[in-house]
Amino acid sequence: MIWIVWRQQRTLFITLAVGLVLGVAGVLALRAMMTADFTGAGLGGCLRDVAQSGGVCGADPNGAVQVTWTARMRNGQLLMLALPALVGVFIGAPLYAREFEQGTHALAFTQSVSRTRWMATKFLVTAVPAFAAVLVMQLAVGSWIEAAGSIGPLQNGRFVQAVFDNDGVSPAAYTLFAFTLGTFAGALFRRTLLGMTLTLGVFVVVRSLVFSFRESLGATKRVVSDDPFAKSAPDGAWELNGGYLNAKGEVITNRLEISGKCIGNDPTQADPQAIEKCFRENGVVKSFRDVIPADALGSLHLAEASIFLALSVLFVAGTVWAVRRQT
Amino acid sequence: MLAEALGKKYSRGWALRECSLEIPAGRVVALVGPNGAGKTTLMGMIAGLVRPTTGRIEVFGDTPNGRGMPSSVSYLTQQKPLYPQFTVTETLRFGKNTNAGWDQAYAEELVAQARVPLSAKVGTLSGGQRTRVALAVALGKRPRLLMLDEPLADLDPLAREVVLQTLVTECRNQGITVLLSSHVLAELEGVCDHLVLLSAGRVQLAGYVPELLKGHIVLTGPLETPCPARPESIIDAQTVNGARIVHAVAHPVPPQHGWQVHQPRLGQLTLAYMRSGGSTEVAA
Repeated sequence: MIWIVWRQQRTLFITLAVGLVLGVAGVLALRAMMTADFTGAGLGGCLRDVAQSGGVCGADPNGAVQVTWTARMRNGQLLMLALPALVGVFIGAPLYAREFEQGTHALAFTQSVSRTRWMATKFLVTAVPAFAAVLVMQLAVGSWIEAAGSIGPLQNGRFVQAVFDNDGVSPAAYTLFAFTLGTFAGALFRRTLLGMTLTLGVFVVVRSLVFSFRESLGATKRVVSDDPFAKSAPDGAWELNGGYLNAKGEVITNRLEISGKCIGNDPTQADPQAIEKCFRENGVVKSFRDVIPADALGSLHLAEASIFLALSVLFVAGTVWAVRRQT
Repeated sequence: MLAEALGKKYSRGWALRECSLEIPAGRVVALVGPNGAGKTTLMGMIAGLVRPTTGRIEVFGDTPNGRGMPSSVSYLTQQKPLYPQFTVTETLRFGKNTNAGWDQAYAEELVAQARVPLSAKVGTLSGGQRTRVALAVALGKRPRLLMLDEPLADLDPLAREVVLQTLVTECRNQGITVLLSSHVLAELEGVCDHLVLLSAGRVQLAGYVPELLKGHIVLTGPLETPCPARPESIIDAQTVNGARIVHAVAHPVPPQHGWQVHQPRLGQLTLAYMRSGGSTEVAA
């Protein structure tokens, strides 16, 4: 059975391998070019000492070199964001739909091998190379982004959507979700084009939906600062909420009212010390930030991935049903 | 193969209704009926691809289901599906890998008989060659029941002859039960020994061919004298070249001037039943 699926998907596997080699070579070449450019622009120190640079770095942190490469890395991240969807649409959805559409399922179903085994072999033999390709691309793009250090996309921490989504187990989870969704949609409707369209649509909707409540999947921590006007150092945490506390430690709810009163209509004319004094007179004692701390990154990845894993299990069960269903 | 009160309803209506029949092992069965009579639906249900809406079906004592096909049954659908990008050798390897009782030597011999080049891609073969490869896959499985849906539909007359002869010889030699469907009985006349005639989703006529022929008569006579057969026994009457030809269920017919009684030919009898279009339901 393994040989049959390999033979059927031979063109796909060759395409995948060629695409992967070109993709990895391209990303590694870009990475080397970028490192050279940064060194040439005098930004080398930032790359070597990421932790101490604190986001402000080199002679000209907002220089043209940095802007150019940030845009290029952004494209790399977008490619990675699209990969799971591409796997679902172009590999998952046609996996069974094409057989049903061309009538070749009747060939497979009329041999003595069971439908479930046929389905499972097709699924696994196709999924493994697709996953390998996504993971290798994740490593390649990841190493590129890491090479830019804190003057690249990582400067705002690893909770930023474009970084988080391409980090840890997330790409694998999205790919599994997209692939199983594709196979299910294809097996259910038995139409390649319909399966592909549905896969893309449902993938985008579910990904956006889960992203919209991602912050509620992690355990938040309240960080209180005794000086309400001190600027907090970046600690890689994901700040969800922030504000001022009164002497009793309660959150000040009429914050806008206070700032309106203290700052006035023209912020540029205001004196910072007078504003601070005015704030304190209105009961502001401390400031707080509600964050998902940096060390909770891994568990947030796992929490989100488990949602996609659960959906994938449902889709696999649905595919088994759809394949074994008699019309 | 046994079917009881089998029915299948699609959203557009019933494809098969109240179909009860029994096919004894070792026969070459012709499943005949006009387009849309329910031939493919019946075969799909025997193969387990289609779920019956009503009734039950049994093949060698098992009920077909959606899990997989029993190794004793081979089914070649009308489209003769094969992977077009596979070569003939690879197609046979597909058969070997998906069937426990696969007979590689036999399958190769069937392909060699058809003079199909082994290294050719299936997609590049002619209709006749494709059919021969598909038959090799179906027979290489060494089934006890072989079902072929319109196996000759896209073949030229010579290829039909060759394929049919190969098929019947192989099956007779090995005692395989064959179920062949066609909307043209003429193709199968002479090779089948059992007939199932479907019309508008119902079994109109079914039985062992010699018994069917014995159970019917054909009367020919002039237009001006009335037909001597009993009216309720008449299946169909037509006028050809100024003479009446009447098909009827066999019964003693009083002699009448100008009328002759013969044993019908299978093709004509089937056509007579098809023309009568289900108004008479007779099972012999």
